[in-house]
Amino acid sequence: MATEQELSDFLKSVEKRAFKRSVYHVRNEEAALDIVQDSMLKLAEHYGDKPAAELPMLYQRILSNCTLDWFRRQKTRNALFSSMSDFEGPGEDGMDFDLLEAYSGPEDGERAESAEDLTRRAQIFRSIEAEIAELPPRQREAFLMRYWEEMDVAETAAAMGCSEGSVKTHCFRAIHTLSKALKAKGIEP
Amino acid sequence: MNTVQTPSPQAEAAAERFALRVTARLSSGTDELPYDITERLRASRMQALAKRKKAVAPARLAAPAVVHAGGGSAALGRGGHDGNSEGGSWWNALVSAVPLLALMAGLVMINIAQDESSVHDVAEVDAALLTDDLPPAAYADPGFVQFLKTSAQAPSR
Repeated sequence: MATEQELSDFLKSVEKRAFKRSVYHVRNEEAALDIVQDSMLKLAEHYGDKPAAELPMLYQRILSNCTLDWFRRQKTRNALFSSMSDFEGPGEDGMDFDLLEAYSGPEDGERAESAEDLTRRAQIFRSIEAEIAELPPRQREAFLMRYWEEMDVAETAAAMGCSEGSVKTHCFRAIHTLSKALKAKGIEP
Repeated sequence: MNTVQTPSPQAEAAAERFALRVTARLSSGTDELPYDITERLRASRMQALAKRKKAVAPARLAAPAVVHAGGGSAALGRGGHDGNSEGGSWWNALVSAVPLLALMAGLVMINIAQDESSVHDVAEVDAALLTDDLPPAAYADPGFVQFLKTSAQAPSR
């Protein structure tokens, strides 16, 4: 059973990455914070007594579910409050249409040139973030879980609810897309 | 599906290195999140930990309640096994034994009172029979029963 300190340490180690992953997914910082908060609460409330070794897998699963729940709520809300826009034209092409539009994209060169390296690093980071945000959701999820959360293929497959082969394919395609996009921008990570 | 081209080991290793470089960049950028976001994440963490406490506390309270409902024998049995909270379990055993003892005492008293009253009733009937003018042997006589029936009907006519 995980002690309170272990749970706290685990949440601390994972919260920033969880926030960023949610931002890439929902493209809204407020919503991402809500999702991370929900997922932490669910983990602590329902699985606070599980062994510390089981927490990472459980948390990944909860985070994915919370993100899906958010999308479902958005879909319902959009259906309830913006049904009038359906009559305006054939602009409806999926649930993340509005989200894509709302994303402002990388803000290159906005920072002051305090130090060339710092700016360069920030630019690379933003470009990478933007490209990751552009990846298809499943590819992004697989890529980030596998390489950022450092889960192995089996764990990633279990967390995503798909086969190991699918995880490898998603990761390979994500890497391929990223390297092509970053090379086109002249960025070497 | 799985029918996608399988990359060569070299390509796979290169892809992995690239992925790790990308995620290293992400990690270094993510470490410098704005203050308000890190604070909100910290607040969420604290809230989650507080919820965990609340989730654990009722579970501890629920155990003695079950013992009370289970009765005295369950509580006494538990007292012997549980070395951690010996004082608490003995207290629980004692408290849950009190109503049981009261019940037993009540049952014993009711039993004694009923025995006494039934003995008293029998004695009263016996005394009435023996002190009556009629001898007890008369009740065994079938003719006497007939006499009683006819004499009981006679005055009502």
